Amino acid sequence: MGKVVEISPTTRHEGRSKLVLQVDDEGIITVGNWISVTPVRGLEKAVLGKPMEQVPKLLSRVCGICPVAHALAAVEAIETSIGVEIPADAHTLRVILHCANRLNNHALSNIFTLPDLYIPGTDRKINLFSPEEPMRSIARRIQRIREIAQGITEIAGGEAIHPTNTRIGGMYYNITSRAKQKLTDLAKEAVDIVKTQMDFMIAVLRNFQRRDWTEIGGRQIPIPRNLGYHSEGYLATDSLYGTSSRTSVQSWDPDHLREIRPWNFYMGEVTIDLEDSTYPIGGTTAAGTVVHPKREATNAIPLYNGRPVEVGPRARMALYQGFNEKGTIGQQVARQMEYMTDVHEILNRLDTLNTSGKVLTDPIPPGDGKTLAWATTEPARGTNVHFVRVREGKVADYSMIVPTTWNFPVCSKALSGAPWQLAEVIIRGYDPCVSCATHMIVLDPDKNVVAQNLIR
Amino acid sequence: MAAPLGQYKMVLFARTTDKEILRGAQNGGIVTALLSYALDTGIIDGAVVAAPSRSKPWRGKFDPWRSEPIVAMTRDQLLSARKTGYNISPNVMMIKEATRSYGLDRVGIVGVPCQIQGVRKAQLYPIGMRGVPDKIALVIGIYCMEVFPYQSIVQIVEDHGGVKMESVEKIEIGKGNFTVVTERGRTIQIPLNETRDLEQPGCHVCLDYAATLADISTGSAGSPAGWSTVFIRTKIGDEVWKRAMQAGLFETKPIGQVEPGLGAVEKLAVEKITRNKKTLEDRDFIGTKGLRNPYITT
Repeated sequence: MGKVVEISPTTRHEGRSKLVLQVDDEGIITVGNWISVTPVRGLEKAVLGKPMEQVPKLLSRVCGICPVAHALAAVEAIETSIGVEIPADAHTLRVILHCANRLNNHALSNIFTLPDLYIPGTDRKINLFSPEEPMRSIARRIQRIREIAQGITEIAGGEAIHPTNTRIGGMYYNITSRAKQKLTDLAKEAVDIVKTQMDFMIAVLRNFQRRDWTEIGGRQIPIPRNLGYHSEGYLATDSLYGTSSRTSVQSWDPDHLREIRPWNFYMGEVTIDLEDSTYPIGGTTAAGTVVHPKREATNAIPLYNGRPVEVGPRARMALYQGFNEKGTIGQQVARQMEYMTDVHEILNRLDTLNTSGKVLTDPIPPGDGKTLAWATTEPARGTNVHFVRVREGKVADYSMIVPTTWNFPVCSKALSGAPWQLAEVIIRGYDPCVSCATHMIVLDPDKNVVAQNLIR
Repeated sequence: MAAPLGQYKMVLFARTTDKEILRGAQNGGIVTALLSYALDTGIIDGAVVAAPSRSKPWRGKFDPWRSEPIVAMTRDQLLSARKTGYNISPNVMMIKEATRSYGLDRVGIVGVPCQIQGVRKAQLYPIGMRGVPDKIALVIGIYCMEVFPYQSIVQIVEDHGGVKMESVEKIEIGKGNFTVVTERGRTIQIPLNETRDLEQPGCHVCLDYAATLADISTGSAGSPAGWSTVFIRTKIGDEVWKRAMQAGLFETKPIGQVEPGLGAVEKLAVEKITRNKKTLEDRDFIGTKGLRNPYITT
């Protein structure tokens, strides 16, 4: 007879989510439910009727970690809807911004992942806050990568967090030749650091893969060989930047997309009957607590061809570069391998950037609202799709499917077969950004808000 | 030290030895010479200055009566920004952009007292100014009684003065008059009392004349024609000034030697502060929320 355990909240990722896990007598997960419980932002509704110029600025506020991804996807989608081609130099600046944001996010993900991993040859976990070596120099290196990435975003995008330079029709300003030179210096500095960081990360990940057990809550938990394996497919729309409904050869087909509600996917009301007070950060939820995953979930479930799909670095590498390693470690390794792509792409694009070039197209049509346009970007965590319809300069429809939304169902499936103590290690493999993935307010049949505490 | 003039380490009369700068300067060419020196020696990578408008050409060239902030990164750009402008040039607006798309690490800025106040506030509370405070390397202040919106200047010249803007060769404010000199040599003087209502309203609550928060502040008041009165106020200002002096950039006269001297600067400062304090009291009296006095001027 199985038992139910709940880890709430999950830690070391962006946003608030929880795990409700049905486990067998050995503590192996049979049914995994990973759900978002972050309060709804409601931005998709808030932007309706707003002038299109305002919308990318609003949507970048979905999240403070991937604002660049949302700002870029929003401008690209709106430009597709109104039928505007942006100048080549504006596109170059956007790709630089995009890559810098990815660099920053991968480094951030390293900070979240490293405490799970061991210093090779020892049974000591890596604590980045420790003043001892090698922890201190690892922490310094990661922070320097983030500093460089944010510095590049700041110059190319106007602001390190919410870029101000992006706009409908291109960019507000081109950068000066001096700024280009500064960006090149920063990126060249990053090449070496990032290479070291990539090699280091892959080494400690491989070391974790070779281990038989990992210590969690004072106990040795066996690491299964198939940690995080799933049998679902991958989705990536581009190997680097993204695509839109304008392109003639489509890398995916939005007609195959169906979004279902969480109550058709997650489990119903269950009572927690397994409790472990030794689990890190205050133990798991007390036994006897009644939880209702399908009602509490605030994320939607997108299905592609009727199945959940994985998005992210591994999906990009699998579809475009023939990477075939499965599982959590494979996913993490793919993420580290993208480091070099990002930093070299910044350098390549800087080479082609003409600092005297035009970056704003003219005129900018108001849009006829006939077609629902979409654009995707491929930020750190995977495919970010924005759908929009613009009519007379106002946004008539808006919908977004962000990376972690795609990953919620597939990760829930990937949890099966692993000891429940390792569930968080698996979700960290997806580098979740839960806030972006929040779409639902749960209503009962009479349209009353059930999960009212979520939107207070 | 007298409070209306703020804290300072040193005050003197100065004029640049650089003939090219002096030729087009309003007075002693202090600001242009200092920034040009700072640019050459790497104290700054660029400076936010008010230059004739490029967006609205006038008589086939840049409009000298409409100032706009630019980020000057070469000596030529600095030279194009010589001379005083009397309209509002939102220099603080460009300071963030200078650290962004211009890619500067050490920014110099020139401004009137209220703008210097803004810059210092941005350094203390960098809201919306991420990464900017530590990149501000040199702050130069200019004395200021008041400024005019561009439309006011048009109104003064065309309605009060009765000449077309295009005919204007020189505009000067001083000795109680708004003086316009046309290209045909006609001089029109409009008493400043008449133009009071056309000033920027914000100027009527400003309690700073001599840019007391700048590193170095300068202006024509008190000095003989072709010279400027310079206050060296901060450690940074002192250091830059000393290096510039060693480089032989300026000739100076001690303040006591020439009339009218410091007394004239103080007189103007007190006049501005007294008048504007009265505006503040009046506003207080009619119930408008009183403004906090950021300066200790008692």
